[in-house]
Amino acid sequence: MSTATIAQGAATSAPPRRRSRANRGGATAWLFALPALAVYFVFLVYPAVQSLYFSFTDWDGLSATYNIVGLDNYTAMPSDPVVIQAVINNIIWTVVTIVFPVVIGLALAMLLNGKVRGKPALRMIFYTPAVLPLVAVASIWGWLYNPQFGAINSFLRLIGLDSLAQPWLGQDSTALAAVMVPAIWLRVGFPMLLYLAALQGINADMYEAATVDGASRSQQFWHITMPSLRPAHYIVLALSLIDSFKVFDLIYAMTYGGPGTATQVMGTWMYFNVFQYYKAGYGTAIAVVITVVAIAVSIPYVRSQTKEHAA
Amino acid sequence: MTGRPITRRGFLGLSAAAAGVGLAACTGAAPSGSAGGGGASGSGSGATTLRVFTYEDNQTIGLLRDLTKKFDEQNGMTTTVDSLPGSGAAVYPDKLKTELLGGKGPDIWRIWGGEIGHPFVKAKQAADLTQYYQKYGWDSKLPPTAIEGMTFDGVKAGVPFIAAGIAGWYNKALFEKAGISAPPKSYAELEEANEKILASGKTPLATAGKYGWHIMRLFEYLLETTAGPELHDKLLVGQESWDRPEVVTAFTNFKKWQDKKWIPDGALGLDPSDVEPWYVQGKAAYTITGQWTESGAIQAADKKSSDFGVFPFPTDQSTVRHSGFVEGYMLNAKSGNPDKAAALIDFLVQPDSQKAMKYGQSAVIGAEPDKATLPLSAEWTQGPGRQPFYTIQDQAFPKQQADQYFAIQSNVLQGSVTPAEAAKQMQQAISAWAKS
Amino acid sequence: MSSSAEVAPVAALPEATVAPEGVVAREPKGKGGIVMTIVLALVAIFWISPLVLLLMTALRPLSDFLATGSLAWPQAWTFTNFADAWSIGNFATTYRNSAFLLLLKVPVGVLISAMLAFALAKLRIRFGTAIMYTVFLGLTIPIYITIVPVFVMMRSIGLSDSVPGLVGPYLAFGIPFEVLVLQAFFRQLPDEIIEAARIDGAGPWRIFFTVVLPLSSPALVTVLILDAVSTWNEFLFALILLSSDANKTIPVGLLNFQGQFSSNQTGLAAGILIAVLPILVAYLVLQKWIVGGLTAGATKG
Repeated sequence: MSTATIAQGAATSAPPRRRSRANRGGATAWLFALPALAVYFVFLVYPAVQSLYFSFTDWDGLSATYNIVGLDNYTAMPSDPVVIQAVINNIIWTVVTIVFPVVIGLALAMLLNGKVRGKPALRMIFYTPAVLPLVAVASIWGWLYNPQFGAINSFLRLIGLDSLAQPWLGQDSTALAAVMVPAIWLRVGFPMLLYLAALQGINADMYEAATVDGASRSQQFWHITMPSLRPAHYIVLALSLIDSFKVFDLIYAMTYGGPGTATQVMGTWMYFNVFQYYKAGYGTAIAVVITVVAIAVSIPYVRSQTKEHAA
Repeated sequence: MTGRPITRRGFLGLSAAAAGVGLAACTGAAPSGSAGGGGASGSGSGATTLRVFTYEDNQTIGLLRDLTKKFDEQNGMTTTVDSLPGSGAAVYPDKLKTELLGGKGPDIWRIWGGEIGHPFVKAKQAADLTQYYQKYGWDSKLPPTAIEGMTFDGVKAGVPFIAAGIAGWYNKALFEKAGISAPPKSYAELEEANEKILASGKTPLATAGKYGWHIMRLFEYLLETTAGPELHDKLLVGQESWDRPEVVTAFTNFKKWQDKKWIPDGALGLDPSDVEPWYVQGKAAYTITGQWTESGAIQAADKKSSDFGVFPFPTDQSTVRHSGFVEGYMLNAKSGNPDKAAALIDFLVQPDSQKAMKYGQSAVIGAEPDKATLPLSAEWTQGPGRQPFYTIQDQAFPKQQADQYFAIQSNVLQGSVTPAEAAKQMQQAISAWAKS
Repeated sequence: MSSSAEVAPVAALPEATVAPEGVVAREPKGKGGIVMTIVLALVAIFWISPLVLLLMTALRPLSDFLATGSLAWPQAWTFTNFADAWSIGNFATTYRNSAFLLLLKVPVGVLISAMLAFALAKLRIRFGTAIMYTVFLGLTIPIYITIVPVFVMMRSIGLSDSVPGLVGPYLAFGIPFEVLVLQAFFRQLPDEIIEAARIDGAGPWRIFFTVVLPLSSPALVTVLILDAVSTWNEFLFALILLSSDANKTIPVGLLNFQGQFSSNQTGLAAGILIAVLPILVAYLVLQKWIVGGLTAGATKG
C-alpha cells in the first residue's frame, strides 16, 4: 500500500511483452481493486465486525470502559416488549411493502405494455416518488395525514365520510398502516419498470399461438406471462426483500416510533437504545440480529448473482 | 486521455486517505470517552468561536442572536446560535445527546432540569460550574429553588434562567359564554366547567398527545389531585408502588376527560404547537401551559392579555401545588473556551438580557415579568407561582421511563389498557428504574 | 424454462373461450388504446396528486389555507411562503453541503467501483469469486450495523460533525451496487477490443481509461446518476454524524424544518418543495438514463 509501489504501477504504461497472464492478473489487478476494497473494508466490513463485538458488551457508547457480558444482550431481547413489537412490525412491513408494490407494479406494467399513448410520461410519473428523499416523503404524507388540515381527512369530510376522518398517525391501530401507504407509493415504480422491460422481451408469437389454440386471457397470463417473468420476479422479490429490512428513515421521520412504541421497528429501536438511552451494547445487538436475518434471507440471491457473474 | 493525470492524482490521494483513516481506525478501536478531536470549537482554551445550541422558536431566535452579537462585540468572539424548536423535550435532547456523543457538541446548550438535564452530568458532558458560580455570584442572582433544579448529585451543573409553572390559561370571553363566572376552585367545579363549556359548543381543554409531554400535564395534575403531595413525590422516586387505587383513579379520570370530549377529538394524534393556541383563537376555552404563552401565543397573535386569564388547577389539597420545572444553560466540559462561554452565560442571564428576550417566566431576580407588558405572567409569578411545585413528570423520569410512561398514557386513552393495568405497568417501569 | 410445456396443457383444455381480439395488441386499434390511456392517465394523476397538492399549497397565503381548507382552490396566490421557508430552513447552507458531498463522493465512488469491476471482469483477479461474494453481501447488510463503530471512528479522528466525514461510509455503501452493475457490463465488452489495444502497446491503465470507460459510458452515466440520487437522499448517517446547523445536508435540514413549521401548513409545503425541487428537475431531465439504467442493469443481472 505504499505510495512508491502505486506510483510505480501507475507510471508503467508500456509493460514488457511478456504474456504472463498470471502476473498481469496479479499485481495490476490488485492495484485496480485496492481503493474500492480498502474503503469497503474500512467503512463497512470492519465496522460490521466491530458492531458484533460491541454487542457482547454493556458499553454505553460514551465511557472509556465497558464489560464483556457475553450473550446477555441477546437473551434480554425476548423479554423486551418493544423488541417483540419491533419484530412483528418488521415482518408486517416486509410482507406489505413487497406484496403490494410488486402486484401493483406488475399490473401497471401489463397495462403500460398494451396499446397506450404517452408511455414515457406515464412511466416517469409512476417512478417519480422513488427519487424523493424519504424525509420529504415523510413530510409530505405527514402533512397529508394532518387530522385537521390534511388533504386526506378533508377529502373524507368532503365526500361525507366524516366518521372515517381520524388521526391516522396518532393512534396505534392505524399508525403503521398509515406509514406503509407512502412506502407502497414510492416502491411501485421499480417493479413496474422491471416488469415492463421483461414483458417487452416476451415473444408475441407465443400469445398468438395460444389464442389460436383457444386459450383465454387469464390462461395466457398464468401460463405464458408469469413463467416468462420468472427472472424478473426473482430480481424484484430479492431486491425488495433486501430493501425492506433496512427500513428506518420513513418511520423515524413520520412517527418517531410512536405513538408510544406502536411503530417501532428494529432499526429505529436500535437508534433509540444507542443514541438516547445510552445503551450502545444492547443497541448494536439489535442491529446484529436484523443483519443476520437480512443476510440469511438474501444469501440465495447473492449466491446466484456471484455464480452467474463468476462464470 | 486528457483526464488521466488528474484521475491518477485523485487515486493516489484517495488511497493515502484510506490508508490514513484505516490506521486511525485500528488505533482508535478501543472506544474512548475522552476522545481526541479537540473540544467543541477548537482545542485549547483560546478558541474565539462559541456555539450555542438552543430551542428558541422562530419569533425569539432573532432576539437571542442580537444578544450574542452584542456579547461578541464586547468580547471579540464569534458566536453562532443553532436552534431546534418545535417538538419540546422530545427531539432536542435526542439531537443534543447524539452531538455530544460524537465528541463535538456545542459550547453552551439550553436544557430542562430534572432527569432531562441529569444524563449530561452523569455522562460528564456538562461542566461543573461551581467556580463560575463563585466568580459571577450567581447564587445571589438566582432563586435557590431554581438552582436546586440545576444541581445534580450535589454538582452545580447548570445556570437556571427559566422557572415555569403549569397552570390553566383561559379565554375570558368563552368562559363568559359558557356561564362560568370565575375559574374553578375545586376538581368538581372543574368538571362542571368542562360540561358547561362543551354545552356552549367549544372544546374545554386544548391539549394534544404528539410527543406525549403536553397531554401528560393533564395526567400529572389528576395524579396530584388523587394522590396528594406526599404520595405524589414518593411515587416519582419509586418509593411507593404505583399499583394502588389513587393511581388507578387518576388514570380513570384521564380516560374520562377524553371519553367526555373535554379534550379535542383525536387529541393523541395532534401536535401541541397546533392545538395549544386554540384558547387564543377561540376554539377552546383553556389550555394547560406555562407563562411563555403570554408573549408566545397571546401577544404573538396581537391579542390583549386583558382578554385572558390564568388560574391554578385546583387539586383539592391543603397545599395547592402546581407542576413546575426549570430550564437553564449548561457548559460543555470540553469547550474550546470555557471561560468565555461562562461569560456568555453570565451575559445572557443579566436582567437586561432576560427582559430583552421577553421571557414571561424568567427566574432571574430582577427580571420578573413586568406588570405593564406581561400582566398575566406577573400576576402568576407573584401569586400562585409562589406555591410549591412538583417536578413535571417528563423531568422526573429518565428518557426511557418517560417514553414508557408516554406509551402507557397513549394506551389508556386508546382503550387498549385498563386504568388498573396501566397502574401496574407504571409500577413495573418505575420500580425497575428505581432499583438500578 | 418450461414455457412450451405449459402452453400444451392449455391448448388441451376443452371449450377454452376464444380470446377477444387485441389481447396483446401490437397493431393500432384506436378504441381500446384510448380507454386504457385514459384509465392510466387518471391513475397517474391520482398518483402524482400529493406533489401537485404540495405545489398548490405552497403558493397560497396561510390565511387563505386556514380559511377554506386544504382542498379548496386558492383565492390568492403568493410567493412569500418560499421566502420564509428559505430563510428559516437554512436551505442555502444545506444545499451547499449536499452539493459539496455529491461532487466529492460520486465521481470518486464510481471511479473506484469501476476499477474494482474491471479487475473482477477483465483482469481475472485472484480470489475473484470470494471478492464478489463479499462485495455483493454488502448489498444485503443494513447500514445501521456499522453506525456505532463508524461514529466512534469519526469521533476519534475528529471528523464527526463534518461533511467530509460522511464520504468514507457513503463510498463503502455505494460500492456493492455499482460494482454489480459495472462488472456485468464490462464482462460483455468483447475481449478482442482489449486484446487489440494491448497489442498496440497499451498497459492495463491506459486500456481502462481510453478503451473500457468510454465504451461503458451508458452504464457509467446510469451508475453516476443513481449514485447521485442516493447520496443526495441519504439520511441516517447524515442524521447521526452531522450536528451543527452549518453542516447539515438537505434531508436532515428538512427534518428540523418540519418541527419549526408544524403550525404553518403553507410554509411547510414551500419548504418541502424547496428541498425536493432539484432532485425532481434532475429526474425530469435525466429520467431516460435512470429508468433505462435500472431496467438494463436488472435484466442483465
